[in-house]
Amino acid sequence: MKHERWAIGLVSFILGFMVVTQYKMTQDNIEENIRLQRTGDLVAQLKDAEQEKDALLKQIDQLRANGNGSEPDESLRRKAALTNVKGPGVTVLIEDSSKPIQSGENPNLYVIHDEDILRIVNELRAGGAEALAINDQRLIGTSEIRCSGPTITVNGKVYGAPFTVKAIGDPKTLNSALTMRGGIVDSLKHWGIKVTIKEEQSVAIPAFTGSYREEHLQSNELGGKE
Amino acid sequence: MNIYIFAIVGLILGVVVGWLTPLHIPASYANYTSVAVLAALDAVFGGSRAALERVFDLSNFITGFFSNVILAVVLVYVGDLIGINLYYVALIGFGLRVFINLAAIRKNIMTKRF
Repeated sequence: MKHERWAIGLVSFILGFMVVTQYKMTQDNIEENIRLQRTGDLVAQLKDAEQEKDALLKQIDQLRANGNGSEPDESLRRKAALTNVKGPGVTVLIEDSSKPIQSGENPNLYVIHDEDILRIVNELRAGGAEALAINDQRLIGTSEIRCSGPTITVNGKVYGAPFTVKAIGDPKTLNSALTMRGGIVDSLKHWGIKVTIKEEQSVAIPAFTGSYREEHLQSNELGGKE
Repeated sequence: MNIYIFAIVGLILGVVVGWLTPLHIPASYANYTSVAVLAALDAVFGGSRAALERVFDLSNFITGFFSNVILAVVLVYVGDLIGINLYYVALIGFGLRVFINLAAIRKNIMTKRF
C-alpha cells in the first residue's frame, strides 16, 4: 500500500509535468504567429519610411535646382537619366494570370517573375527604347530587376504585380519587338499572364531618384587598356 | 483516501515544476508530445476506472503508463519515417479510450451512489 501511494504520486507528477510542458509549447506557437503578424506591420512601416525618403530626396533636388551651383548642363543630366522625360512610346501593363490553377499544378508558373520583366525590358532595349521605367522607377545602367519573394525589386524598391513598363522610342518598333511570333508576349500568354501594350503619342518617364555609388570606380585615361 | 491526496499533490507538484523549468520543446516535436500526453491521460483514466471497479493492479498500472507513452511516441516516429501518418491514428485510438473510460467511471460512480 505504501509503494502504491508513491507510485501514483509519481505518475501524477509526470502527467502534470507533461501537460504543462505541452501547454507552454502551444502558447509559444501562438506567440510565434503573433510575431509573424508583426512582420506585416514592419513591412508597412518600411514602405512609409521609403516614401518619406523619396520625398526628402525630391527636396534635395529642388534645393539644388534653386541654389546657384555649377550643375552639369541639361543634356548630360538627361543622358544620366536625372531628368523627367517624355516622348512617344509604349506602356506595357503586365498582370498576374487569372486562370484558375488546377490542383497539382505549380502556381509559380502563373505569376509574373523577375525574369519575365527582364525579358520584356531587354526586348524593349533591343527595339531602341531610349528611356525605360518599371512602375515609374527609372531604369539606368546599374538598375537591378530582382526576385524578392512574390514581388520584384527595382533600384532597391519593392514592387508587386501588376507591373507597368513604360518605354520611350518608336511605338511601332517597340510594340512589334514584344509581340513578334514566339516572342515574350506569346510565351507569357501561354500561362494566362495578361500583357497589354498601348502605343502612345506621349509617355512620361520620371527621373532616376536614387543615388549613384562610385566606391570602386576610377577614371582611366588609357582607354580600354590597364 | 490517502491515495487521492498523493495523486493531487503529485499533479500539482508536476504542474509547478513543469511551469518553472525552462524546458522548451521545438514545435516540430508537437506531434510526439501531444500523443505522449494523450497516452498518459489514457493510462491514468484507465487506472482510475480499474480502481473503481476494484481490479486495480499497481505494477500493471505503472508499466501500462510508461509503455503506453513510450510506445505511442515510438510508433508515431516510426510511422513518420516510413511515411504513414500514425499520429492521427494514435490520437483517435487514445481519445476513444479516454472517453470510454470516462463513461465507465461515471457509470460506476452513479451505480454506487444511487
